[in-house]
Amino acid sequence: MNEPVRIQQEDFLQDAEIAALKASSQRIGGIATFLGCARDFSEGREVSEISFEAYGSMALAEMNKLRDEAISKFTLLDARIVHRVTTVRAGDNIVFIAAAAEHRAAAFDGCRWMIDELKQRVPIWKKEITPQGEAWVTPHP
Amino acid sequence: MIRVLFFGPVADRVGQREMSFDFAPGMTLHDVMHKVGMLYPGALSIVSFVAVNQNQIHDKQLALNDNDEIAFMAKFSGG
Repeated sequence: MNEPVRIQQEDFLQDAEIAALKASSQRIGGIATFLGCARDFSEGREVSEISFEAYGSMALAEMNKLRDEAISKFTLLDARIVHRVTTVRAGDNIVFIAAAAEHRAAAFDGCRWMIDELKQRVPIWKKEITPQGEAWVTPHP
Repeated sequence: MIRVLFFGPVADRVGQREMSFDFAPGMTLHDVMHKVGMLYPGALSIVSFVAVNQNQIHDKQLALNDNDEIAFMAKFSGG
């Protein structure tokens, strides 16, 4: 199976990511996932495409740190983070995060923490392409 | 040689993704920021993060080494 932390152009398969998690330990009692996908509307405008750009080497290193920290902080058994860097259209997958733990509370907390931290710490930017033009996205809390 | 990278909205303002400066002993991060600011006035006003060799740096007086890689980055918006 692929590395647990990846930046890639191509789409990912949630089932494959979850199967890889489950294969890592039979002590897993719960897996919480977050799937980020592209919307066709933002800030009052139609969005036809979203284009991503990353400082690839730093982003990957930061995502690996983030995973390690989450595993330690929430006593996760395993975790996966996959972010696409390409141009996507409405409905397309953007990011997948999964946290596996013995119990659900740690899985939920770890998953939430990873996506929140990713948005703050990982050097990736998105540009929305609308019928009116293009604009870099201002981060949301 | 000091390699300077620009990404996303910062790259759009600068009009390029990469440039380089000759390294000089004693050169600091502030010196490079000043040079870029002089070449592209206003371009760095949206910079929220600066990384040297892929590590985020807050001390602008950081002494640079030859072949360092500096990145000027706006607020992240991944996810």
